[in-house]
Amino acid sequence: MTELLEQIFFALMLSSTYALISVGFTLFFGAINIVHFSHGDVAMLGAFCGIILYGILGLAGLGSMPLWMVALIIIVVSSLAIGFVGTFFERMVIKPFRRSPLLMVLVATIALGIVIRETVRLFYPQGSNPQVFPRILPQTAFRLGSLQLRVDHLIILLISVLLIVVMFLFINRTRAGLAIRAISQDMEAANLMGINSDIMIATTFLIGSILAGLAGVLIGSYQTVVRFDIGLMGGIKGFSAAVVGGLGSFYGAIAGSLVLGFVESLVSAYVPGGAPYKDVFAFVIVIFFLVFKPSGILGKAAPVKI
Amino acid sequence: MKVLEAIAFFGVEIIFFLLVFLFLVFEKTLSIFGALAALVALSLLVGRYPVLHQFLRRGFSTYKIPSILLGLLFILVLPILLKERPYHIFILFNAGLFALLALGLNWQIGSTNIVNFATGASFATGAYTAALLAVHLEWPFWVLLPISGLAAATVGFILGLPCMKTKTYYLSLVTMAFTIIVYLILNNLDFTGGPDGISGIPFPSLGFHSFGSPIRLWGLEIPFQANFYYLVVVLVAITFLVDQRFRYSRIGLAWNAIRNDEIAASCQGIDILYYKVLSFSANFFFDGISGALFAFSMGHISPESFSFNVSVTVVAIVIVGGLDNPVGVLLGSFLMIIIPEKFQVFQDYRMLIFGLIILLMLRLRPKGLFPPSVRTYG
Repeated sequence: MTELLEQIFFALMLSSTYALISVGFTLFFGAINIVHFSHGDVAMLGAFCGIILYGILGLAGLGSMPLWMVALIIIVVSSLAIGFVGTFFERMVIKPFRRSPLLMVLVATIALGIVIRETVRLFYPQGSNPQVFPRILPQTAFRLGSLQLRVDHLIILLISVLLIVVMFLFINRTRAGLAIRAISQDMEAANLMGINSDIMIATTFLIGSILAGLAGVLIGSYQTVVRFDIGLMGGIKGFSAAVVGGLGSFYGAIAGSLVLGFVESLVSAYVPGGAPYKDVFAFVIVIFFLVFKPSGILGKAAPVKI
Repeated sequence: MKVLEAIAFFGVEIIFFLLVFLFLVFEKTLSIFGALAALVALSLLVGRYPVLHQFLRRGFSTYKIPSILLGLLFILVLPILLKERPYHIFILFNAGLFALLALGLNWQIGSTNIVNFATGASFATGAYTAALLAVHLEWPFWVLLPISGLAAATVGFILGLPCMKTKTYYLSLVTMAFTIIVYLILNNLDFTGGPDGISGIPFPSLGFHSFGSPIRLWGLEIPFQANFYYLVVVLVAITFLVDQRFRYSRIGLAWNAIRNDEIAASCQGIDILYYKVLSFSANFFFDGISGALFAFSMGHISPESFSFNVSVTVVAIVIVGGLDNPVGVLLGSFLMIIIPEKFQVFQDYRMLIFGLIILLMLRLRPKGLFPPSVRTYG
């Protein structure tokens, strides 16, 4: 029982990092009906940004600051930086294809993913090797009843949930969020109402990429090593989570992330010899969902337009 | 006048082949670049002036057989001209393998608008079927070639059926997930050798001639890579003919109709499920053959060769070459596979350049380098 509860806690932590990425997919798809396949690589940039920042802080002689301050600086600065990087990518790679067929955006963002990964591999010092991520979160354990839980996992879970709630409030309670929702319903009508769709779409990408950057830092801090190609898998998983939950639905992205996170951690804990196959299980479930319930857990089935 | 025209037409063809040859033999970055630039200038010139384009078109329809024969002669003689450079014959062979994959994928992405990212998986199915049966049961290559094709086609059929329930992004995600599943399974299963893969696949042989030994003809000795080169040329030619038969039959028309408007097509009585699954199976069949050839030419395979990157490479070839244009796809695989190999200086940067080329192409020539001409009937 104790072990099961510990596994559930780990699965929640894992799901929350997936949710940070998959919420971005859902946001972009909701706003302009595109899938940003390099979103996972943007998240990977967040992790590398965190490593670089840690190095800079050390050089600036601020390494003696209390750990929580270092962690705070790294998390905030990397997320914001990646937010702007993501917006830049939208401007350069996605915006030109807004009126093109679907295949174009798909391939363009996959190509962008290749460019991001290769740039890190080639131009980051020894980029093709795994990089050690600094220990910015305390990796000690604490007891909760009979449970043995890790502090950093708890912090990751709390930060992710907090940020997702903040983003949810932003989308649902502010004027800017209202504008984004208006664009996702009907861009032309929104434009006629005086909404600048270019700025609002850029804002959407800013928010989505901030969350992705945060996801990168958090994933880096619990995996302790990161490599240039973690974004490929991260991106496909984030997208899968969004699809399983129902692409375009906010709660769906979270539900999908929970499904993937739980399948992965439970399979590697309880299926004998299952650990190497945890991703296989996850993707088989994704395929089943796509085939038998393509609208996802919470998505609305889209009627076919003629 | 006629004679002059003929001379001019064949002159252009010979200049084109000469430039291709120079591009292949040059070794200094600057001169390779020069040959490439001349090729690009030639094609831009033809694209810029419709007169030239029409002239070449007319010439080709008048002298269809002699000009194709000249092309075949060039392809056959190429290994003899390159006999001091076995590596170049090998990369030409590689381009041929990717041409097989890309011609097949073109039926999906180009003709039917099914954005399939499962090429890595089908390529792997063919390669592993051939490798396992060759190493454990010692089946001969010539039997395994069609068998691997059939094995991959079966996988295509099985994957194709559920895929038919999905569309657009969802379909792409299913195929991506499938490629990753196959890759992960190959990496972890014991009898496929895990990450080490399978080695010791014997060279095929034809009669008494082993593909591992050089070809000796009239005192000439052509390196052994030429065996595989000629084989892949034959296979690409067969695939191209199959492509032409598909294209100019009801099947090609049905595929194009589905691409243009699925609902309208089904209202015309086209069996969407049948034609889509057919395009899956046909594509996977040739992927499987390509995979078997890959396994036998390398002698060793490992999961690394069948990752998601293979799928992306082949999709990129089809898009850069020209959607729904088999000639464009052939030229695309030649360009995309050989150019990165030629510029040794940039060897490390090849994937980066690859990504940048795709991004630029999508911006500047979204229909590919060689867009298809409009159908003349149907």
